[in-house]
Amino acid sequence: MPLTRVLVGARGSTKAFPLISLEQLEETGETQVSIATIGQQLVNGVTLGGMYALIALGYTLVYGILLMINFAHSEMFMGGAFVGLFAFGWLDNYEFFTGSGFGIALMFLMTFVISGVVIGLLGVLIERVAYRPLRHAPRLAPLISAIGMSIFLQQAVLLWITPRQVPFPNYLPAGSYEIAGISINNIQIMIIGSSIILLIILDTFVSKTRIGKAMRAVSQDREAATLMGVDINRVIAVAFFIGPALGALAGIFSGMYYGSIKFDMGFIPGVKAFTAAVIGGIGNLRGAMVGGFLLGIIEALAAGFLSSGYKDVVAFAILILVLVFKPSGLLGESVVEKV
Amino acid sequence: MGKGKKLVALVIALAMVATMAVGCSGSDDADTTDGGSDAVVIKLGIGAPLTQGAVALGQGIENGAMLAIDDFNAKDLGVEVKPFVVDDQGDPKTGVNVANQLTSDPDVIGVVGHLNSGVSIPAAAVYNEGGIVQVSPASTNPQLTLQGFDNVFRTCTIDPVQGAFAADAAFNTLGLPTAFVVDDSTPYGEGLVDEFVKAFEAAGGTVAGREKTSDKDTDFTALATKINAAAPAAVYYGGVYNAGALFAKQLREGGSDAAFFSGDGVYAQDFIDLAGAANAEGMYCTSVGLPLDQQPQGADFQAKFDAAYPGEGIQAYDTYSYDAALVILSAVEVAIDEVGAENLTSAEGKAAIIAAVAATDIEGVTGAISFDENGDTNNKAITLYVVKDGAWAPN
Repeated sequence: MPLTRVLVGARGSTKAFPLISLEQLEETGETQVSIATIGQQLVNGVTLGGMYALIALGYTLVYGILLMINFAHSEMFMGGAFVGLFAFGWLDNYEFFTGSGFGIALMFLMTFVISGVVIGLLGVLIERVAYRPLRHAPRLAPLISAIGMSIFLQQAVLLWITPRQVPFPNYLPAGSYEIAGISINNIQIMIIGSSIILLIILDTFVSKTRIGKAMRAVSQDREAATLMGVDINRVIAVAFFIGPALGALAGIFSGMYYGSIKFDMGFIPGVKAFTAAVIGGIGNLRGAMVGGFLLGIIEALAAGFLSSGYKDVVAFAILILVLVFKPSGLLGESVVEKV
Repeated sequence: MGKGKKLVALVIALAMVATMAVGCSGSDDADTTDGGSDAVVIKLGIGAPLTQGAVALGQGIENGAMLAIDDFNAKDLGVEVKPFVVDDQGDPKTGVNVANQLTSDPDVIGVVGHLNSGVSIPAAAVYNEGGIVQVSPASTNPQLTLQGFDNVFRTCTIDPVQGAFAADAAFNTLGLPTAFVVDDSTPYGEGLVDEFVKAFEAAGGTVAGREKTSDKDTDFTALATKINAAAPAAVYYGGVYNAGALFAKQLREGGSDAAFFSGDGVYAQDFIDLAGAANAEGMYCTSVGLPLDQQPQGADFQAKFDAAYPGEGIQAYDTYSYDAALVILSAVEVAIDEVGAENLTSAEGKAAIIAAVAATDIEGVTGAISFDENGDTNNKAITLYVVKDGAWAPN
């Protein structure tokens, strides 16, 4: 039964415009956009965004302090997932951890700490061997060094661990909750909750603590901060510990959420998180968080209501728009040229 | 930067290169045992994704072809075949590069490969120019053998056969009236979904929507929500197991109970392991040929495989890869009689091998093998599989 829309013209004449029939409507897959579907896509997007935001912080922290883009950061995400896999595998041997709810919670905590610390230290090590010797070199040199480091780490995992996509365990009890037709499961709650908590902790750390103050001072003016007695190497090391550690946690979340990990898993999320950092204003922590969540939500809505094929097109179109109208990013400050 | 630091940097850089080199040598440790000093040595190329892409299936292709080479060398015909294994990474550009690598070695007389249609199709042009035979064990897109090359063959059947079979199984056998179709934007995935849609609609089914994804996507949650809203009876996916397993998992965890249906690209245990056994239970796929235990020499192959690769599982194309290598090596035997063992690697020898492959009429592991005028196998068997107790089983 074709639907027709009848338009009544100014002089009382009517014209019928055939619209597509209900059957055709079903065929083309167009469904009524319900509030629940939008809500569900927002949940999907915020989960994805939480992971982007955690990775984006690593890019933005390093950029804020060194004005350098750490392209090896996406491998911190991948490495974190692999260390997490080994940590889970090791702790799984002890019944204490798998027996009770408390044990499982402790297992998660230990895995997060192990992976965060291992990858954090790896980040510090990478800075020490690959970037610090080039700190006064032309800006392209550390960039190339970072790309080299990224390829090295990927290939190391490929050759020494596995080229295959490996399953990642999920110890969270399965469960999902439905609120007004929108369902959210335990992993999503965990990812969204942990990412927001970690972001708040980091924000407080940077604005309230002494070392956080030093970080901000270095990002404003490295030389002046040194003159004021700030140990610049220590500040950089801290940034290179925190960023990779957060990236590692995002890697574990990704492993749990998608159920598998692979040596090249960091590439696309890395590019997306970098985009998120730029949208939010690179160098600005809150910007990276906003950018991450925004990008995740845009992607989910684009995939849900346009087409999966268009999600990256839409995401990058928005990046370009943001950069055209606000070159420093949404929350970025326009830097006054210092003379 | 002082001298000491430069030294440290140099040492680190060298160490990085050295570790890589050590790691690499692990992957091409092909048997180089000497097969008699007077044997003529020829090489058989094996091209498959070994480090990226559908690695599980790619390694299976390597394993299958290796077994055929071992069998040939055991015959002691005065010709020793050495494998030349290349990693196409499931990527068309890399595929063309490794194809050039193979054709520029004059000792390579033929190639078993590749897995992905998107790789096989452009690589075929390189092999055609190089004048060597290509037998793909796994590329199902019809385009591969329709390029007008006389040197391109395959031992697996093609997508129109598989797509039509899947559509018939979904609509008639399983009684699923609507399907939401998703492909991975590769020639394989797109081609398979096109054929499925054609046959499904012809049978009377309704396609509830079509979406394109990428074979490198990891997040399908938004798509899963969209499919849920459309509530189709079935979801048909054209693609390989890496992305396919993630999609299947997220579809189930997103609350969809639509029947999941896919093609030979997901016929791998890795699909079930990655999607999670509970999610994968009851999912369907079609794959080329008969189940291993129904293949004429399936039991023999299983025994041979277990002896050579203890602890590894047989993948979807291992027997097809064995047969692809068998086809080429049988042609080599014919060519030895025609042109002589010393001339196998000449242009004349390679042409004789191509001609002998075209005239193939042998019994392989998968059944009788012969090729039609395009180079497609006349063995058009397809099987419907379902995940039962965490493993693929014939439905």
